Amino acid sequence: MATGHDGPTGDWFGNSEQISRLPGKVFAATCLAATLFGIVMVAGLLVYVTKDAIRPLTANPGWFLVFFLTLVVPSTALLAYFGRRRDGEATVALTALGIPFFGLLLGSGVLMLFIDVIGIFEWLAFVAATIVAVGVILGHRRVRGRTSFLEELLVGVVALVGLGPVTYQFISTFPTLPQAWLIYLFTFGLGGAAIAGLLVARRRNDRRAGLTAFTALFVTVTAGVFIDPSTGITPPVWVILFTFAAIPTALYAEGVVRRRQGSLPVGLFFPFVVVAGMLVGAVLVDLLGFAGPQAWLDIQFLTSANSRFPEEAGIYPALIGSILMMVVVAISSFPIGVGAALYLEEYAPSSGPLSVVVKFIEINIANLAGVPSVVYGLLGLALFVNWLDFASGIVVVGGMTVGLLILPIIIISAQEAIRAVPGSLRQASYGMGATRWQTIRRVVLPEALPGILTGSILAFGRAIGETAPLLMIGAAASVFRAPNGFFDIFSAMPRQIYTWVGQPSQEFQYGVMAAGVVTLVTVMISMNAAAILIRNKYERRS
Amino acid sequence: MSNENMTTPDPNTESGSRVESQTSPRPGSEVVDSDELNRPKTSETVVSSRDLDVFYGDTQALQGIDIEIPKKQVTAMIGPSGCGKSTFLRCINRMNDLIDSCRIEGELKFEAKNVYDSDVDPVALRRRIGMVFQSPNPFPKTIYENVAYGLKIQGKTENMDQKVEDALKSAALWDEVKDRLDESGLDLSGGQQQRLCIARAIAVDPEVILMDEPASALDPVATSQVEDLISDLAEEYTVVIVTHNMQQAARISDKTAVFLTGGELVEFDDTQKVFENPESQRVEDYITGKFG
Repeated sequence: MATGHDGPTGDWFGNSEQISRLPGKVFAATCLAATLFGIVMVAGLLVYVTKDAIRPLTANPGWFLVFFLTLVVPSTALLAYFGRRRDGEATVALTALGIPFFGLLLGSGVLMLFIDVIGIFEWLAFVAATIVAVGVILGHRRVRGRTSFLEELLVGVVALVGLGPVTYQFISTFPTLPQAWLIYLFTFGLGGAAIAGLLVARRRNDRRAGLTAFTALFVTVTAGVFIDPSTGITPPVWVILFTFAAIPTALYAEGVVRRRQGSLPVGLFFPFVVVAGMLVGAVLVDLLGFAGPQAWLDIQFLTSANSRFPEEAGIYPALIGSILMMVVVAISSFPIGVGAALYLEEYAPSSGPLSVVVKFIEINIANLAGVPSVVYGLLGLALFVNWLDFASGIVVVGGMTVGLLILPIIIISAQEAIRAVPGSLRQASYGMGATRWQTIRRVVLPEALPGILTGSILAFGRAIGETAPLLMIGAAASVFRAPNGFFDIFSAMPRQIYTWVGQPSQEFQYGVMAAGVVTLVTVMISMNAAAILIRNKYERRS
Repeated sequence: MSNENMTTPDPNTESGSRVESQTSPRPGSEVVDSDELNRPKTSETVVSSRDLDVFYGDTQALQGIDIEIPKKQVTAMIGPSGCGKSTFLRCINRMNDLIDSCRIEGELKFEAKNVYDSDVDPVALRRRIGMVFQSPNPFPKTIYENVAYGLKIQGKTENMDQKVEDALKSAALWDEVKDRLDESGLDLSGGQQQRLCIARAIAVDPEVILMDEPASALDPVATSQVEDLISDLAEEYTVVIVTHNMQQAARISDKTAVFLTGGELVEFDDTQKVFENPESQRVEDYITGKFG
């Protein structure tokens, strides 16, 4: 349109569309559409699966109405009110609800480990050995004065590895061992209360406040032990759940109250509104006789083993198997991955003959991250089962195979995090006469750690869903009891889901499978949420 | 390169007289005094170089540098961008070792020992020669931890509180931060951060402090605080400072070295002499702003 015959005297301010924005607009719109398409498809699938798992249509409409009135309406209204106040009360409210929720999830995981895997006396021996090791380190520090980090690490490892078995032997020779509830109380309850007390004392800069917090928490956790076990709240359940859910919540509440100084932090009452809504709803539904949905995903599903009958099938052994496998994955991949990243970023030469090797390694790590997981399964089978002679299908083999699979991802994300540490900080440290190791330990690692953790937890999130390597190393199609150690055969959640899909009956293919998928995705999303929380907490101003 | 032209605009006489007026009343007179009293001209040399050549890959950054830096005085290095003055500074404490492509020939002595001898540990060398960088770079730790960093890595952990306090006092920062030692060093203002970096460098009691344009990222008020501090530091330490700002060199230094393009050290003498009566025409042109 702009033929230009009016020359340089034309309108210079250019709203006659001489300058085309069209390609950019088309590009932006296409990107947005593609992203939305992807997200909507995945979300749609999840909604569909959740619908199959919960089966909301089997419930009485009255059931929904009751819970809508007692739970949804009050809590939404309260949140909306907080949102309108714009003073961060909504964040407080949601955090106060989220911390106990995730604490309960985490505590339930730990509880499962203690019920099925870890013996209480092994635990006692481990704690005792740790205390002795710490004592040895402190004593060593006092005797030797200043010591190097490596020396302390060495002393600690020797103390732990050497003293652990000895302590176990020693403890098992005791004529009378303390009762289980005492052990739980004094390891978890006392430890949690002590940490909380120290935190409060440091935050408030007030020893007495810390002592008060410690005493209050410890008295509460001790009192709870005497709840009648027939209610289902046995001492281990109470102590562990209290330590992982109640203590962090109390700490958060204390922090909010301290920061508010005077004005009432009403946001903290939000979880009470939610819980009260649930309770009132449950009672009303019971009184009025409204039937809830016949969900596949229920307590029975989470706590029982697989079965031939869909109504009795559960995911418990696979859930434990997945948790144990993730422990192995974390132990086997995280230290090696971070170490490799540190070497590549901080130590590896950028010139000279060795640098060619380093470049070769870096390129291949990037390639390894893209190798199909089924090939990693083959590698695990060859390496761990055929060559190192492990039994096939045990937790350690599964964990290490999946650990190998995510190792390149951890290395790459850790490298990114390390590279993001400003060079000026390294210069400052070297300029002070720090060695490379001192610079890494005191400057680079602390600064890169949030990034490393975020990347690693996202990688763990991927690891927990891996199925193909488990098929290759011969993880059981379905097991009927939880593995009782790291060298026991196991099944994991994705493997179990795969088995259910292959069952002939529709109930398995749609219902039980859907419940399994929702469980798996919930665990994975919890891990990702943890990664995001860590990142937000440690994100620094530049 | 145009930076110097901008700081000293073309009227030669004016810039020349400004330099004169800056030097003679305040630090200039001090220099004269102290030359006669406690800073004698025949002061012993602490850092010296002979025939020092530095290469980055195939590019030569410094050519045959001969210099003798006197003890407990402020030596300024000026010159246009890219003339190698920072490179020379980083040779003194072997920070250039961190650059893989850097190659050094010739001799650079610190207290009669060639620092590039194979039996010299660069880490030990850097513990005796502190460094302050162009832009303030405190660690993302507390103010206390920042100052204590060098003490900790060098294992000098006795009396740490006292040493931290002394260093902060020497850096003229104590009064501003004594109630907030637990706050992050990044919460300080730019000038405070740079003084924190200076405190960090002097906490371990080095013999020489190298400063690579320490005030170039600061505003005028913070700059003058840092300059006052540098003059004070020369009572106890040997200070070598690279600066783009010729007035700054004239104000605070006892000796001035002029590097010119190509990595040559063209002139090295008492500051007053270099600014008032330079021997080389090129130096005169540079100082008067005819050439940047």
